[in-house]
Amino acid sequence: MKKHLKFRFIFLALIYAVTFSTSFQLKAQDEKNTVRLKTQYVKIMGGESYIDIKASSRINKQNTDVSNIDLHIYNELNGEQIKLGKATTNMHGKTRFSLKSIHEIAADSSNTYNLLVEFTGNELFEETSNTIVFKNINIEANLYVEDSINYISATLIDPTTEIPIADAYLDIQIKRMFKPLKIGEEFNVTDENGTVIVSIDEGIPSIDGNLTIEVVLNESEEYGTVKAIVNAPLGSPVVNESTFDQRTMWSPRNKTPLFLLIFPNILIFGIWGLIIYLITNLFKITKS
Amino acid sequence: MKNYDKLLNDLAPKKFGKRGVIWTSFLILVIIIGIVAYIDQLIKGQVVTNMRDYALWGIYISNFVFFVATSFVGAVAVAILRLTNNTWRTPIVRIAEIITFAAITMAGVTIMIDMARPDRLLNLFIHARIQSPITWDVIIVPTFLAISALLLYFPLLPDFALLKKHFNETSPAASKWYGKLSLNWTGSKTQKAIQTKSIKIIALLILPVGLVLQTIDAWLFSSTYRIGWDSTNFAPYFISGAFVAGVGALITVIYVVRKVKKLENYITDFHFDKLGKLLALACLVYLYFNINEYLMPAFTAKKGEMTHLDTLFTGHYAFLFWAVTIGGLIIPIIILLFKNGRKPKSMFVIGLIVVIASWWKRYIIVTPTLLHPFLPIQGVPESWHHYFPSLHEWLITSATLAAALLIITLLVRFLPIIPIQRTADEQELLKNK
Repeated sequence: MKKHLKFRFIFLALIYAVTFSTSFQLKAQDEKNTVRLKTQYVKIMGGESYIDIKASSRINKQNTDVSNIDLHIYNELNGEQIKLGKATTNMHGKTRFSLKSIHEIAADSSNTYNLLVEFTGNELFEETSNTIVFKNINIEANLYVEDSINYISATLIDPTTEIPIADAYLDIQIKRMFKPLKIGEEFNVTDENGTVIVSIDEGIPSIDGNLTIEVVLNESEEYGTVKAIVNAPLGSPVVNESTFDQRTMWSPRNKTPLFLLIFPNILIFGIWGLIIYLITNLFKITKS
Repeated sequence: MKNYDKLLNDLAPKKFGKRGVIWTSFLILVIIIGIVAYIDQLIKGQVVTNMRDYALWGIYISNFVFFVATSFVGAVAVAILRLTNNTWRTPIVRIAEIITFAAITMAGVTIMIDMARPDRLLNLFIHARIQSPITWDVIIVPTFLAISALLLYFPLLPDFALLKKHFNETSPAASKWYGKLSLNWTGSKTQKAIQTKSIKIIALLILPVGLVLQTIDAWLFSSTYRIGWDSTNFAPYFISGAFVAGVGALITVIYVVRKVKKLENYITDFHFDKLGKLLALACLVYLYFNINEYLMPAFTAKKGEMTHLDTLFTGHYAFLFWAVTIGGLIIPIIILLFKNGRKPKSMFVIGLIVVIASWWKRYIIVTPTLLHPFLPIQGVPESWHHYFPSLHEWLITSATLAAALLIITLLVRFLPIIPIQRTADEQELLKNK
């Protein structure tokens, strides 16, 4: 009898274990993944401002881009949410929401802008949101020449209070096709006037002699990313040395060098002319 | 009259003896085996060869270069000896012309064997770029072939007419063929004038065209940016090498023909002595260019060059390199400096060694360079690092060599290998007649 009870207990325990694990799995399957939103505010001086958003999720222990989800962007002000618009992520989980101008949004009493990026969730992912907090700041960049040396000066200034911002790191760089070419010191720190001065070397190559110089306050916690672009006619124009249209030894045959068309052909036709003449001589011998 | 008849009897073509039949049959057998191997190569592709991504030129190209070099003998014997008024050339010129014709014919065939898709041969003409040395080669080989054929044919006309008469009674069929080939030659003033003028033109033409042929052959290599080939010295180096290969082949064939046809009265020790001096000169010039070709790169010792030279001097190809340099060049020069060394038998041995060395010399010009690219050979099967010809390559190459020898054999069989008319003129026998 005791043995019989023991068997019944084991049987029930097994049933319970199977049922519990199955329900746990079902519950796990019902769980939605969490979306992580990474946001970056970018302001181009004299141009647009935008928010770069990247959505990703940790699925099966791997970071996965979350594509094709709708994100709503709000301007938070005094506890109210003013909707600015909507953006949808691309296949890489990225989207850019353009603000056109900073004046499109309103700041609170401390001149701080509060934006909210919200994902309302769907059947696969839970709802989530991310707040972007930043202050407005301007970079004023100018070119000047002193002792025949070209310089660029950049000043970081708060437009509301017009107070220059000292001890901030600015990148001074020239726009290139793949990666910008940094000039100046490794770290350019603004002085008490909020200014950085960097000399521009001569002979930096550019396609048409124009350099696009960028002054960048990069991913500042307080101000986001701010970029000033200055076009400077200080580059050394790149001379196109392609021989594509020229008659060279390595060109296709429709661009054979003329000397190579003329002299070898004179030789070839001259020699074959003599060969044909010699063959006609054989006929002459036959007939004479 | 008696002397003239003897001359005609001595120099007129004769039927093969037993040895001739065995020799010809052997050559035909080698050719048939080569053709079978070539058909297999056509079906399976060049995978049957040991040429791969790096050694993309192998034995076929070195064999082609050898044939081109050997064909230079016509230019040497006819043009150079003629222009320098060396009258002793008479009994040897026709053999030189025959070797030239056979060698350049087989050069053309060999280059087609190296093509994986010979059916695309026409593309070489349709899509030709005159900037390409390959195109120059495609133009110059048929040009030289045409000139060497004319060079062989024009001086034969009076001899064909003589043979027509000679075989009139003994072999009417042969007489008929010789008659057709003689182009109604009667020896009239007009015919002689046209023939003399034509031969002069050919003699003047074959030297520059021969030089161009050898130069283009060299430029095929030196116009590529490769260690061992990228040399301004290459064209004269090839021309002097062709001089050696050609004269070596001429001496070898002359010895055999003289012996088989019993022409000791026509091709004498004097001729061998002269040819020996010519070969010694050729070898000395070639040795000079060899020193140029190897000493300067060794002296400047650029890394790539040194790797290449180490392979030749002390490495994988050292035996071949020293064998062809010492055995095929330096020892022949030393032997040929002595009068006894220029006797027919020793000349035959030297000629044969020089020809074999010339063949292997082309092999070590072509292959080691290809196995020393500027970028190290990496990430490929181990077998691609080396090259030695496959059985298919040996069989096909042997067949091309046999074919060249067969052309020579057949022409020697059916043509008067010593110009009868010219010899008679020189001996003034016809005048007596």
